[in-house]
Amino acid sequence: MIKNTKCECGHQNRVGTVLCEACGKPLEDNGDSTELLEMRYDGAARRSQRANPNWIDKVWNFFSSVKVAVYLIIFTLIGAIFGTIFEQESNFVSFDPSTFYKEKYGTIGDLYYKLGLSHTYESWWFVTLLVMIGASLVICSLDRVLPLYKALSKQKIKKHMQFLTRQKVVYQGPVSENGAAWTQRAIAPLKKKGYRVHTDGDALLAEKQRFSRWGPYVIHIGLIVFLLAVLFRGLPGLHLDKHYWFPEGEITKIPDTNLYLKNEKFTVEYYTEEEMSKEFRETGKVVPKLFETKAVLYKCTANCDDPSKEPVLTEVKRHAIRVNDPLNYQGFKAYQFDFDLTPKLRSVKPVLVDVKTGKQYGKFQLDMTDPQLKYELGPYTLELKNKFMDFSLNEKGQPVSISNNPNAPAFLFLVKGPDLPQEGVQYIYFPKVIDKERFQQDAINEKLGGLQNKLALDVLGMEDVDFIESSSYLNIRVDRAMPFVWLGLGIVMIGLVMGFYWHHRRIWLRIDDGVLTLGAHTSKNWFGLRREVAAFLKTMDVDVDEKDLENGGNRS
Amino acid sequence: MGKARRPVQIIILVFIVILGGYAISSAVFGGGTGKPEPGDKPPAVKLLGLDGKVHTLEEYKGQAVVLNFWATWCTYCVNEMPALQAQWEKWRDQGVVVLGINTGEDEMTVRNFTEQLGIDFPILHDFENDAVRNYGVVPMPTTFFVNKKGRIASIREGELDLETLDDQIKQLVNP
Repeated sequence: MIKNTKCECGHQNRVGTVLCEACGKPLEDNGDSTELLEMRYDGAARRSQRANPNWIDKVWNFFSSVKVAVYLIIFTLIGAIFGTIFEQESNFVSFDPSTFYKEKYGTIGDLYYKLGLSHTYESWWFVTLLVMIGASLVICSLDRVLPLYKALSKQKIKKHMQFLTRQKVVYQGPVSENGAAWTQRAIAPLKKKGYRVHTDGDALLAEKQRFSRWGPYVIHIGLIVFLLAVLFRGLPGLHLDKHYWFPEGEITKIPDTNLYLKNEKFTVEYYTEEEMSKEFRETGKVVPKLFETKAVLYKCTANCDDPSKEPVLTEVKRHAIRVNDPLNYQGFKAYQFDFDLTPKLRSVKPVLVDVKTGKQYGKFQLDMTDPQLKYELGPYTLELKNKFMDFSLNEKGQPVSISNNPNAPAFLFLVKGPDLPQEGVQYIYFPKVIDKERFQQDAINEKLGGLQNKLALDVLGMEDVDFIESSSYLNIRVDRAMPFVWLGLGIVMIGLVMGFYWHHRRIWLRIDDGVLTLGAHTSKNWFGLRREVAAFLKTMDVDVDEKDLENGGNRS
Repeated sequence: MGKARRPVQIIILVFIVILGGYAISSAVFGGGTGKPEPGDKPPAVKLLGLDGKVHTLEEYKGQAVVLNFWATWCTYCVNEMPALQAQWEKWRDQGVVVLGINTGEDEMTVRNFTEQLGIDFPILHDFENDAVRNYGVVPMPTTFFVNKKGRIASIREGELDLETLDDQIKQLVNP
């Protein structure tokens, strides 16, 4: 169907145009209607409106529809609600999601997990909705902002009579002066009110704060930046959110980075009885006042990727990490999350004692992890043959370790020296006194060669025992997309301010045979516009009540 | 103007399809726990072997690999060691490698243990538990069977006996 889109003023309008692009004459009806005009996009056709759309146009049209956008937003909101029913997998530190939901919430929980709602915001359908909203934002904006921009930048000053009389603010009345003179006189008071005034003989257009019309599109640009940042947050290297243990006094590698963190000292302080209120004391709870990890961050500068060599570390940052006061190194953040005060044996410094004479040899450091393999103590040589971190005997009576934690460490040495056989004698040593008795060190050594009557390994005092006093549990976070999220939100804010605090106001007037016809349009605050028009007319010696400017049409 | 619009439209739609497609496909394929599953490529490892050399999976390209995560303190791992050794001896000539990844123990502990049991298949040290994390190993032992095309064929958690092991390796060699 080919529709004639030529206006009576001679302008050829595009399909879908509501008001003639040149003179503003309404094109949709036959000129007998008195309804208020549809002023959206100044009556310009949206870009996608075409006479014969092909499939690209159809896709384009789908996304350019505000109705579709509203449905997309509603679906996304409903989808987002599902994600808030139970906790999301990504928010928790360590549990097996396949059993967690069933155990905690029963069948509903199981269903929730099986439907994939336990990771709603990472699910394909949620991401698809976000992508569609993104597409809709881009296409909706382009489809409207360009025609609107063009319509506003080439406005014809003299508008069709119907265009004026069908505005929401209208005045019609006689003027005694010559049309052109009256129009010239009107320029000054309008300029005083901040309008830009254009005249064309006896017609006038006054306009102000047009830029507020761009507010919504600026908001859209901000939202697009925001959406892109959110969708691409998961790109490799942009996002990290993990929790790791950092034992005190140790340098621990942070997985998936080339950084190492040393927990130099961990401190926890509790509220004292006096600091608590009476009611709180009665609850019997102990509440930490402060927990702090004195942390040093190192960057690996050489040998980082070669497990056969020691990495070379350079200190890059030092910080006392407290709750809400993370270590921050170029966007890499370590937050205090939890702690464990169970001490773990790190090393002992025993001496070799000659049981008969009481003579002591050396004091040597015996580390729980990676101990030295040979020790020279006076005339004796100790070769470390085996170690068991968590000593136990299996069903066959063989010594085994039942875990990798130094709960009950035991060390098997081969001792050589004076008065001992050439090949040496085996000797087992339990650094912890309690284990010595529990596993009967002497009885084992009796079987191994009877060295316990000649020599003994002994720790002289507590200063020779080194513990990892505590471990700090830190949340390691990198979120490089965050600045873009803020940037996007900042742009949205600018757009909101532009659109909300300024109003685009336009006043058209023309004088035909001594009759003034005035029409005015704004995007909001009609009350203010009416008052402004009434005040302007008053300075022009036309006395009219601002309420009478309201056009009686039925558009709100 | 009217003619210039079409390329712009197409460019914008192409952009949306590329960016959106990337975001959606990473949600579909990249999501989850990151735990490798059958059919996936095994995550790369670069670990120090008991032989003092650095090893990667690349070295075993074209071979079937039985990747066994173990520790001396894990009873079930210790129990299945002789079976692994036996299968290594049986299949090594047919392009099958048994790789033992020790999880975070000292070299001495590992060396003593392997010497005691007479184990001579390659053992790698995972000192920092990097491989454990990348492979998402929770219980031990966990064994990954990687076929000659370099894809994970199956994952078994818990102790394996000689027969199951033989079965699994047969499937790797003659799929």
